[in-house]
Amino acid sequence: MLIENMKMALSALRANKMRSFLTMLGIIIGIGSVIAITSVGDTMRKMFSDIYQDVGVTQGYISISYRIEEVRDSDYFTMDEMESYKEVFGDRLAYIDSGNSVTGEIVTDITKKNFYFYGVDYNYIDVQPVNIVYGRYLNEGDILARKPNCVIDRASAEELYGSAGAAVGRTFRITVYGNVTEFNIIGVFEKEQSAFTALMTGSSANGEAYIPWTLLTWPNDYIYQCHFFADPDMSAAELEQFNEDFAAYVAKTKNREPEDFYIVTAQSEMSTVDSMLSGVAAAVAGIAAISLLVGGIGIMNIMLVSVTERTREIGTRKALGATTRDIMIQFLTESAVLSAIGGIIGIGLAAGLVSILGAIFSLPVVIKPYVVLMAVGFSAMVGIFFGIYPARKAAQRDPIIALRYE
Amino acid sequence: MSELIRLEDLVKIYNTGSLRVLGLNKINLSINKGEFVSIMGHSGSGKSTLMNILGCLDTPTLGRYYLDGTDVAGMSPDELSRIRNKKIGFVFQSFNLISRMTILKNVEVPLTYARVRPSERRRRALELLELVGLSSRIDHQPNELSGGQRQRVAIARALANDPPLILADEPTGNLDSQTSIEIMELFARLHQNGATVVVVTHEENIAAYTDRIITFNDGRLISDRINIAPTALSDTAGALGGRMS
Ligand SMILES: Nc1ncnc2c1ncn2[C@@H]1O[C@H](COP(=O)(O)OP(=O)(O)O)[C@@H](O)[C@H]1O
Ligand SMILES: [Mg+2]
Repeated sequence: MLIENMKMALSALRANKMRSFLTMLGIIIGIGSVIAITSVGDTMRKMFSDIYQDVGVTQGYISISYRIEEVRDSDYFTMDEMESYKEVFGDRLAYIDSGNSVTGEIVTDITKKNFYFYGVDYNYIDVQPVNIVYGRYLNEGDILARKPNCVIDRASAEELYGSAGAAVGRTFRITVYGNVTEFNIIGVFEKEQSAFTALMTGSSANGEAYIPWTLLTWPNDYIYQCHFFADPDMSAAELEQFNEDFAAYVAKTKNREPEDFYIVTAQSEMSTVDSMLSGVAAAVAGIAAISLLVGGIGIMNIMLVSVTERTREIGTRKALGATTRDIMIQFLTESAVLSAIGGIIGIGLAAGLVSILGAIFSLPVVIKPYVVLMAVGFSAMVGIFFGIYPARKAAQRDPIIALRYE
Repeated sequence: MSELIRLEDLVKIYNTGSLRVLGLNKINLSINKGEFVSIMGHSGSGKSTLMNILGCLDTPTLGRYYLDGTDVAGMSPDELSRIRNKKIGFVFQSFNLISRMTILKNVEVPLTYARVRPSERRRRALELLELVGLSSRIDHQPNELSGGQRQRVAIARALANDPPLILADEPTGNLDSQTSIEIMELFARLHQNGATVVVVTHEENIAAYTDRIITFNDGRLISDRINIAPTALSDTAGALGGRMS
């Protein structure tokens, strides 16, 4: 009976193609804009979470707040303090360094290139995995002895020395905190990144190199900030707790209030992005509600016209045994099908548009199946809701009057 | 012979604003199973009013209507729908086929409302279209057929649920005389096969096919007579629907 009704609805809608299409426009636009903007939102969300995944979702920085006017020496960090944090927090604190970096130029016979030299600990590779394609990574000995060793990225190695293999063993001089230092290249690495991260960072003209962080502790081994990674296996709640505990502990050991320390974490940045996107989603929901309301009223209007035009059909059907319910369901199916087809067309158009945009910006577009299903279901519900009044009118027609109708 | 229709002091009053029209005035009537009856009378004499009540499309203002032994008065609209579906086959002056549907689908409509399975529906509709001589047109839309063909589709549709009563309100009113004869021969053959048929007409030669002629005037039943010599069916017609295409 349902399939029967759907077929009947389709043939009734086909009989007035242009009118059906125009009636659907409101729904097409409403559902289409919801899908398009939801998809853009989901794509952005995925983009940010992929990028944070690549840079490490558990990382953060802590330093004395910029609001503190009189900064004491003890507000800075020492290497001993940082060691003690590792002991206090154990496995929860996966990694810690000063987060310092310097820029410098590597000059070779062939060419020259600007680099970011990041000061890292030997286990940085555990929290920011890279593939060593030639040579080796920094080890504990390099760090403790403050050896001027470095690993550089593959693309730069090839550019400067012709190949990754040729780069290892080379030396170069750069100025670090005013002193000219000669560095040895001990390894070449390659990063694994998502398409989004590659897109966001790919245009950087600078090379990347890792050097022992113990070389970047100027002045006098006082360190302005701590850069840390919590255990990457933590849940969001555990991570939040850790960030809080860590900031509180640091403040306490330095005789400061917790709010005197400024902590910024990937998690809090992500939740800022998330709440921004949720705000966009709420605005979209409002727009969608209005256009679906307009679309629904359009459907109600056209169904009322249809009921009047088909008065004789209704009379005939009733004479042949249709109950109030049968007629009601027939017209409700028609308005639901009308609206659902509008929804499907809207989804198709939105998916097409978003995919074209994705292709232009070479972004992997996210269109969630449940969003599509919900959109179809919702448009059918709009059709049913706005179809109730016309369908009731049809169903309550007196068969004799309907049959006499010219 | 058992009684199919019984009207007792049946009155129908139409209330149109200030005006009250007496559509039917104290009608007493009994029709047995298997009868072939024609209703005659001037325009406005109450023929359609009677047919609507007999067909359970309308309810009497006063009096009783027993259909197949059941008092129809006081039934809900949906109960009346079910009675129409099971017990009554309608044939209208203006055919009332549903456009946008093939004639096969049109014949299936009453079967759909009787909740018959699709395969069985199709089988039955094909059988009925064969009976009225339209097997070759099952996939046509109603507007592709002549008036006589449309009326034969409507008759097939009226027979779909094998109802005990066939009601035809001026079934030949929109047809030429030759086609009218063909349609009346079809009703006559249905009657020969045992159906109870009531036909409204104001043409003598149409009424002449029936066994009993009831005449109305101004809402009253003024004459009820037996037609001793109904028009003989043309021999060439052969089996039911044989000559009809
Ligand atoms: N729905 C109605 N409302 C008011 N008056 C009606 C209605 N239907 C029929 N009548 C009146 O009842 C009388 C009988 O009508 P009807 O049964 O249609 O006559 P017939 O079919 O014999 O031509 C007429 O006077 C007609 O105007
Ligand atoms: Mg009439």
